[in-house]
Amino acid sequence: MNEEQAWALEAQQGSDEAFTKLVETYQTPVFNLCYRMLGEPELAEDAAQETFLRAYQHLHRYDQKRPFATWLLSIAAHYCIDKLRRRKFSMFSMDEEDEEGNTFELADPDSPNPEAESIKGQTRTRIQSMLKDLDDTDRAAIIMRYWYDYSEIEIAESLRLTVSAVKSRLHRARKELAGMWQEEETRAHAERRTYESPAF
Amino acid sequence: MNHQPFETWLLEDKNLSPAEKRELDLHLRTCSHCTALTETGLALRSAPVVRPAAGFTLRFQQRLAAQKIAERRRRLWGMIVLLVSGTGLLGWLLAPYIFAVASAPVEWVTAGVGYFLFVLTSLQAFTEVIAVLLRMATDFIPPYVWMVLLSATAGLGLLWTISIWQFSRTPQGVTA
Repeated sequence: MNEEQAWALEAQQGSDEAFTKLVETYQTPVFNLCYRMLGEPELAEDAAQETFLRAYQHLHRYDQKRPFATWLLSIAAHYCIDKLRRRKFSMFSMDEEDEEGNTFELADPDSPNPEAESIKGQTRTRIQSMLKDLDDTDRAAIIMRYWYDYSEIEIAESLRLTVSAVKSRLHRARKELAGMWQEEETRAHAERRTYESPAF
Repeated sequence: MNHQPFETWLLEDKNLSPAEKRELDLHLRTCSHCTALTETGLALRSAPVVRPAAGFTLRFQQRLAAQKIAERRRRLWGMIVLLVSGTGLLGWLLAPYIFAVASAPVEWVTAGVGYFLFVLTSLQAFTEVIAVLLRMATDFIPPYVWMVLLSATAGLGLLWTISIWQFSRTPQGVTA
């Protein structure tokens, strides 16, 4: 049994102190997943808090045989998927919201190579804006795969899907992202040509 | 080689041999779709992990405390509503009897005492019948049958306890 599972066991027996240790350990992965799913830091904060609250309330259902992180991220992913579905249902589009979430992605001007950092920052912003166009469950699968290095089996367990469904969702999402990437490249190329001086 | 195997390699993040890498590089020069797949793959892998603002744990503790208070308050109100509605329902059901007792108390007290005495004498008669039957049973039933009966009762009790224990175990898995 590792340290986290020992804390989970103590928390199951009613130790709030042990649960606090779990919150401290997993706040970043949970917040990151929520941010990648919802696209805004305020919403991600709320979703991450709610995830821990739900985990606290349903701690008796946690199976010690599974890694605590998988169980926790599964709660976070399902919460975010539900939230996104409710938002779609109420005709509230992510596109109408501001892009404040990008403040996390801004390049560091003090870095040794500001130009490279700026390109990296643009790429990250681009990835984040493309993620929001994916299907909610596909997005969760992509995040678990590329941010948490989850195997297809782990993703299937977390999202309550079959392994073949996860595989096809990952393939579909990757193809969609590549398609969006290509479109943006084409658009950017066209824009560059428009602003170029005819003299050159 | 056609496009398909390269796309599959990229989608499945296959570990490529040096020869396969060379083939892929050649393919990427001519295939914009696979180039986009490679670039998005790299972008996904290089995307950073975003951290929450400082004080996340403290904010969680405050939220949990508020949730606990709200839960306690909800339970208290639930109990009050249950108690008030139960008392109201009981009062409504008992109202005709209360009015009847209030209008003719002597008849009701006499009837009540009579009913109490009837129950008491019936109970006495019943215990006597049971005692007589037990005395007769001990004479008729041999000791080994008693042992069998006792063992069967103990076995059933054990089975019942195990079943209760099995059903009352906490459910496992994620359903949050």
